[in-house]
Amino acid sequence: MKKLFSVLLLLLIVPRTHAQGAVPTQADESRILTLELAWNQAVQGKDAKALEILIAPEMVYVEYDGTLMNRSEYLASVAARSVHAEQILCEPMTVRVYGPIAVVNGVYRETGAKSGKPYSHRERFTDTWVRREGRWLCVASQSTLIAR
Amino acid sequence: MRKTIAVTVLMLTASWFAIAQGEEQSSNQSKVIALENAWNQAEERKDAKALDTILDNSLVYTDYDGTMMTKADFLANVKAPSRHPEQQVTESMNAHVYGDSAVVTGVYRVKGTENGKPYLRRGRFTDTWISRGGVWVCVASQYTLITK
Repeated sequence: MKKLFSVLLLLLIVPRTHAQGAVPTQADESRILTLELAWNQAVQGKDAKALEILIAPEMVYVEYDGTLMNRSEYLASVAARSVHAEQILCEPMTVRVYGPIAVVNGVYRETGAKSGKPYSHRERFTDTWVRREGRWLCVASQSTLIAR
Repeated sequence: MRKTIAVTVLMLTASWFAIAQGEEQSSNQSKVIALENAWNQAEERKDAKALDTILDNSLVYTDYDGTMMTKADFLANVKAPSRHPEQQVTESMNAHVYGDSAVVTGVYRVKGTENGKPYLRRGRFTDTWISRGGVWVCVASQYTLITK
C-alpha cells in the first residue's frame, strides 16, 4: 500500500506533460526516468497495483529468455510467490522523446531468488512509453541478458 | 427539425472521422510491417544503403547478446565481410499504431555464417517506429533469444 501511495504521489508531484504534439521538454525525460525508478521499486515490493498505473493495458513484455507476456501475465509474474527480486539497480538510462512517444534504454542488475534458487542477472532493456491523456504509460518492454 | 439535422450531420461526421482514422491506422500498420520485411531483405543482401533509409539517425539497437549499437555501428556490422547472412525470416509480427508512432513485436529466425562458423538463432524482437513527415523510420530495436 505504501508503494502504491508513493507511485501515486510521484504521478502528482512530477508536472503534467503537454498535450500531444508539444515540443518534448526536459520535464518529459525526468518524468519518465522517475517512472522507471518507480517501476523497479514496485517490482521489488511485488506491488502489482502500483505497476498497473505505469503499464498500458496493451503492454507487451519480453523477458530475458524470450518469454512473451501481456500485461496481466506480467503482473501475475511480479506477484508470484516463487520469485523474490531482492535488489534491482539501474545503471544510467537514456531517454529519447519523440512527441507523444518515448524510448528508454538502459542496463539493470537484478539479484534475488526464484523457486528457492538465487539468481543474478545483468540485462539491457528498451522500454517504449506513450503519452495518453497527459500521462506516460509503458506499452512495450524488452530485456536481453548481457553476455559479453 | 433543425436540431435533428444538426445532430444527424454531427453523427455522420463523427462516423466518417472514425472510419478515416481506422483506415489510416490500418494503412500505417501495413506500412511498418512492409518496412520490417524490407529490413530483413536488406540485411540478407547486406544492403546498408537500403537500411540507411529505414533506420533513424538516433537508432539504438540491442543485439541478442546485449551488445548496444548506434545506427553507424549497426550498418557497419551488416556490411562486415566476416558475416554472411543466408536467411532472415519473420515468423510472426504484431503492430500497434499510436498516431505517428508504432511498436512492432514479433519472432524471427536468422541463419548464416560469421567468421566461418555457422549460426542459427531464433528470437523475439520489439521495434519502435516514428513517422517523420510521413516517412516511417525505426528509432529502437531489441532482439532477445528464445531460450525456453
